Amino acid sequence: MEQWLEWARGPLFKFAFAVMVLGLFRHLLLAVAGTVQALLRAGDTKIPYKVVFRTTLDWLFPVKKMNVNRPVYSVISVIFHVGLILTPIFLLPHIQLWERGLSIRWPAIPHVLADMLTLITIAATVALLIGRLGHIYARGISRIQDILLPPLLMVPFITGFLAMHPAWNPVDYNAVMLIHVLSANLIFILIPFTKLGHIILLPATQLVSEVGWHFPAESGDDVAVALKKENMPI
Amino acid sequence: MRETTPVKSPRLNEQDQVMTTKYPYYVEPYNETERPRRFLEAFSAILQHSNYGFVLDTYSKITTKCARCACNCQVFMESGELRDVPCHRTELLLRVYRRYFTLGGMVSSRLFNGFTLTDRYIDEMAENFYRCTACRRCKFGCPMGVDHGLMTHLARWILAEIGIVPKALVVAVREQLQGKTGNTSAIPVVALKDTCEFLEEELLENYNIPAKFPMDVEGAEMVFFPAVSDYLLEPDTLMGNAAVMHLTNGSWTIGTGYYDGINYGLFYSDTHLCNIVRKEAAEVKRLKAKKVLIGECGHASRSAKAFIPTFCGGKKAPPVINIMEYSHKALLDGRLKVKSGAILDRVTYHDPCNIARSKWIINQPRELLEAICKDYVDMVPGGQMNICCGGGGGTVSIDEIRKFRTGTGGHVKAEQIKATGAKYVVAPCANCKKQLREVCEDNGLHDVEIVGLHDLLLKALDLEYYGITAPEKKEEEE
Ligand code: SF4
Ligand code: SF4
Repeated sequence: MEQWLEWARGPLFKFAFAVMVLGLFRHLLLAVAGTVQALLRAGDTKIPYKVVFRTTLDWLFPVKKMNVNRPVYSVISVIFHVGLILTPIFLLPHIQLWERGLSIRWPAIPHVLADMLTLITIAATVALLIGRLGHIYARGISRIQDILLPPLLMVPFITGFLAMHPAWNPVDYNAVMLIHVLSANLIFILIPFTKLGHIILLPATQLVSEVGWHFPAESGDDVAVALKKENMPI
Repeated sequence: MRETTPVKSPRLNEQDQVMTTKYPYYVEPYNETERPRRFLEAFSAILQHSNYGFVLDTYSKITTKCARCACNCQVFMESGELRDVPCHRTELLLRVYRRYFTLGGMVSSRLFNGFTLTDRYIDEMAENFYRCTACRRCKFGCPMGVDHGLMTHLARWILAEIGIVPKALVVAVREQLQGKTGNTSAIPVVALKDTCEFLEEELLENYNIPAKFPMDVEGAEMVFFPAVSDYLLEPDTLMGNAAVMHLTNGSWTIGTGYYDGINYGLFYSDTHLCNIVRKEAAEVKRLKAKKVLIGECGHASRSAKAFIPTFCGGKKAPPVINIMEYSHKALLDGRLKVKSGAILDRVTYHDPCNIARSKWIINQPRELLEAICKDYVDMVPGGQMNICCGGGGGTVSIDEIRKFRTGTGGHVKAEQIKATGAKYVVAPCANCKKQLREVCEDNGLHDVEIVGLHDLLLKALDLEYYGITAPEKKEEEE
């Protein structure tokens, strides 16, 4: 068990983390390259950057946006994201791992707070799933990943909590830790291949949507030529 | 891949001109063989020569299927059907994109025997992408910033390239681009001149205003392009336009070479969109004018404002203004004098999506109305977040889907109008006017009148200030 854990924490983690970083980097590169290419080809390059920037901020910190549509779901979703982002990054044992490996460190949050955040995030996930499956339309348009990802995201949270609280833990510490690390690694690997890619793409989407309306000056003619319709009656 | 003979013409012979009734709208007969292959060919050509690829790529990675956009859609609000959830509709196109144009999609379809594009699937797209009015309201509800209006715009173009496009739209564009009259309502120049002379007489007779509709004046500042249908249907709007121009000494002209602001290319084909705005720019150039002046029409304004720069020379393209912007500026300058409170009945304002969604024209008409109305009330929600009339995206000209337009698409709007208790709904857009009249008729709002902004301005002009005594006959106020 112990060796397995070491392997999962060492080489496997490095691999999974690298997949995530490279995958996200690819996402970003494609989005930026796509935007730049579109702007280079566009007949009109006047973009209301200020408006785009403000809208982007509005959605990155959606304080103003929460009461608009599906308010309860939206509020829960924000809580979920806060827990999901803050807890793993500022948990002391995680920081210690980074310090051991790369000798970098940053301040940690107190254990009590980490515990609370963990429990809140787990509760928020359950609520989100109910919000999805209980909403006839959200359920109707959900794909498999939309339903399976939230529970998967919760595995490291639950196992992490159990590892920190041996009294509650029904199984062996190492077993729980192994699941913890393996599930986290799986998530890292899945990030670039699922909708979790929005981690890196969200700040770009408002710009993408805006630039998308800026067509190349010759696009109409070129498509007509490509489809051999340039001299055809309408 | 099997070699196939290239398709010669998207249309069949004259004797085969029977209407296809597969969809809620009429489609002219077209070559129905191998539609999936031809759809993908068109899709691929469009991806190659335009800018949609990176948008599809981004969207297909991020949509989270949370159904928040649905709460913003007037069609969904009324129908409550799954297929009207914006993200669901957009997914129809994204699925095709992923499967045929991304490596991951191709691989996974090999491995898991995944999705293939079929005739039935194309039919589903053909129907659903014309249930969306491309009003872009839903974009504001999506945390991921997905613009379903853009997706509808693209999907319709691909469909049109294989022949699936509502007959009403294609007939209008055909006349405009390749017909004798060169405009969507098929109004010949003689008839245009007759109409304008008649309107001039009316203005003189009813208001004592000696306004003119100048024709082909070289060197005028602005060339005027209203929705050409206004010459047939909206005499009051046009008289209001001419009166304001006359009293404020506006330098404008109508060009007999091209005088139609309508652009259905915006609704189904970038190729046509491009060719139509080029005609506007060319007419401005021919008359050595400086600006494009669009009449009271939402999509005409947006297609000119957004796409003349795109297709006619970027920064060098002539600037585009809407006539409401002109009148508003004249009011602020003090060149336009109106009688405050001249309109006694309650008035409300409908924001045409095409000019309000981008926050381009929202306050100008309101300020004009507040200057002349005694009892002006806003619609809620309004401005940038207005609700579409239900006839956007060209659907208003498809008469055979009226029941859908006024019942499903327009019902929310009807309730909104009813809540204001207004007698006049100002809708400065040819499409919105037609749609709202039908919406009111079909939803029992028989006392509501749909008018243009300049219709009311005309009644509220301070003629004494300009030294004009109103004619004896009748005063306009009721
Ligand atoms: S663009 Fe308008 S009609 Fe189309 S889905 Fe969005 S809100 Fe509905
Ligand atoms: S709000 Fe955005 S992500 Fe959510 S369902 Fe609609 S388009 Fe998809």
